[in-house]
Amino acid sequence: MKEDSGSKKLPALICLIGGAILLIWALALDFSGSKVGYRGALLVIGLIGIIMGLYIFPTLKYHRTLVYVVFLFPLLFAFVVTVIIPLFLGLFYSFTNWNGIRYTEFVGVANYARMFRQPSFIWSILITALFVVFNMILVNLVAFLLALLCTSKLKGMGFFRASYFLPNLIGGIVLGYIWQFVFSNVATKIFSGMKYSMLSSTGTAFMAIIIVYVWQYAGYIMLIYITGLNTVPAEVLEASNIDGANAIQTLFQIKIPMIAPTITICTFLTLTSAFKQFDVNLSLTNGTGSVADFLGQYLTNGTQMLALNIYNTAVVENEYAFGQAKAFLFFIILACVSILQVRISNKKEVEL
Amino acid sequence: MRKRLLAVVLAAAMAVCLMACGGSSSGSAASTGEGSGAASGEGIRLLNGKPEIDTQLKNLAAKYKEETGKVVNVETIGGDTNASDELKKMYQADNMPDIFVIEANQAANWDGLLADLTGEAWTEDTDYELVDEKMGTIGFPYTVEATALAYNAEILEKAGVDPASLTSPAAWQKAVETLDSKKDELGLTAVFGWCAEPANLGWSSGTHVFAQYLDAGLAQDDTTYIDLLNDGGKIDEARMKDFAAFVGMMNKYSDPALLIDGTYDNQVAGFAAGKYAFVTQGNWINGGVTGSPDYTGWAMGFAPYAFEDGIDTIIAGPPSFWTVYSDGDVDAAKEFLQWVSDDSAQDILVNEAGLISPFKDCSFVAADPFAESIKGYMDAGKTSGWHTMLKKDGLQNKTCQVFADYAKGALDEDAFVKTMGQVISSYYNN
Repeated sequence: MKEDSGSKKLPALICLIGGAILLIWALALDFSGSKVGYRGALLVIGLIGIIMGLYIFPTLKYHRTLVYVVFLFPLLFAFVVTVIIPLFLGLFYSFTNWNGIRYTEFVGVANYARMFRQPSFIWSILITALFVVFNMILVNLVAFLLALLCTSKLKGMGFFRASYFLPNLIGGIVLGYIWQFVFSNVATKIFSGMKYSMLSSTGTAFMAIIIVYVWQYAGYIMLIYITGLNTVPAEVLEASNIDGANAIQTLFQIKIPMIAPTITICTFLTLTSAFKQFDVNLSLTNGTGSVADFLGQYLTNGTQMLALNIYNTAVVENEYAFGQAKAFLFFIILACVSILQVRISNKKEVEL
Repeated sequence: MRKRLLAVVLAAAMAVCLMACGGSSSGSAASTGEGSGAASGEGIRLLNGKPEIDTQLKNLAAKYKEETGKVVNVETIGGDTNASDELKKMYQADNMPDIFVIEANQAANWDGLLADLTGEAWTEDTDYELVDEKMGTIGFPYTVEATALAYNAEILEKAGVDPASLTSPAAWQKAVETLDSKKDELGLTAVFGWCAEPANLGWSSGTHVFAQYLDAGLAQDDTTYIDLLNDGGKIDEARMKDFAAFVGMMNKYSDPALLIDGTYDNQVAGFAAGKYAFVTQGNWINGGVTGSPDYTGWAMGFAPYAFEDGIDTIIAGPPSFWTVYSDGDVDAAKEFLQWVSDDSAQDILVNEAGLISPFKDCSFVAADPFAESIKGYMDAGKTSGWHTMLKKDGLQNKTCQVFADYAKGALDEDAFVKTMGQVISSYYNN
């Protein structure tokens, strides 16, 4: 064993050092802006060299880990490039005056301080919260009622299930434009009392967004509730029936307690997706609507939710660093919600 | 055996996917055939922001190749993607085109990255090049666009209104009342086709109508009100009040359905069908109007927003420019731009693409039905600048809401002035 390790040590070291040199060379070429065609090949050979070196290095301790890493590499690489690096890069940019092209100075936490002094941003946070509350309740309520309907033994249930689910298959942007047409050309004709479309003033426009969102999302949540309702054991229902429970008692005493985990899942699904609401908001009202007096200011972004506010700050108003700072706050809020969700669902699973 | 076969098939599928990913390196840019190969030094690349003239620009590149043997690759960004966003991505990816389109207020973002074109022969031939104090001459004007109140000449003639006389608020008031009283006779729905809907047409009210406050009646290079605006968001209240009164008149004599809930398509279609005598757009509606089945061949032109006595100019100039990337092939780009300013290229741009030439020695007149009217203002020196493009990015999304509230009657004239001032100053100082 001893001899064996001695004979392997040398090639392993050669592989390692050679690989490292090739890798560094390739990176140096790249960062110096060289246009040589072989630098990609150099990089790959260097990487393979390092992995080979590590693998034949005379210790068997980490072999398994190494093999795992090699096999996981494509996925890890994609994850790092598309998620991890942008996350830290974004955090870094939020402390600068980046304009999407480059930055010239560090501004510290100025961007973070500034967003809390901006009434329009605070307004966006508030109405997003309001929107989330309304949606969590309405989507779940509507979806649950639809699920009850679709699990009853009426004829043509497959058709109804499919049609309730259908709005979810249409993209949010398209949906927004379709509903915009409905609100401004159809609704105004049907309800002759309406002088202008619902979208032209803040309060009604906000209601319009909620209507469209519930219409779009309830079908999806309904499917989850249907699955939940189908898992309620038939013998339990039969037993309650024999005991003389009526439909309402069965619903509140048997069905709802039995599908508690489903309700948790659906609540959090609607919570996070309502928080991230963007596409319908963009295409239906584009955040317009006026607020006569909020914190002493006349606001012009009455229906602009958080995600749209961030997008507008960065892309339309060309303040990329400021938008990035807002996005980071948004990330923290969503991360908290997700962690909470995971905690609570885990607890529920244990209880079952 | 079957498992092995499956493994081979999966591996092959993955290889195909990877190759497909590698092939589509040009991203969302609708590039020409040679577009992606251009970076390796064959010819220069031009990034165009107007999808409607994509074909014509490709013809232009073909003509250039035919005459000089040099290659220009045209890449077009447009529709839902904004050229300035795409440029940011291209800059990050080190994939910059040699010539690209910018709007005037974006120049500062590119400080130090744009080539100075001072001294090029074409600069002698136009008044519309983009000049920056620090960077020199940086923008090549490729078209002139105009905006004011577009009118239907046939209707005005029938009603006995001379558009040339509309140079004071009183004259406007009289003309509008005349038109309004003859609405049925003339087949009009309303005198004005003015749309203040903010979600989709915010660019129209917030940028173009607002532009009239900034520039109407001023000389091409007069920056009084834009300077005031960019100095922390100040407005001239007296001028804004006159402007508010004029917009109030437009609100009063507009089609209410269009005013609050309209769309660009309805606005243009209504004008083409002769339902409105005036419409608040620019010469870019020409295709929409002449292409409409309801259009019967009448002449059209522009009348000034005369909200103060003596305002007799329309806003005309290049809304965007071609600039040269200083790390790109500057010499080849300069050579190309010089060629574009000459006759064989202007022939394509004016006659095929329907653009109005910013160059004085260009003898072609565009097929644009507004061209005659615009040329008239240009020759008389009665054009004002597009300084609205120099306002802070995103301001139009704030001001358009104030226009909408005014149109709906939620604000009166004085409240409009006050709110406008407050919204602008809080946006500049947020």
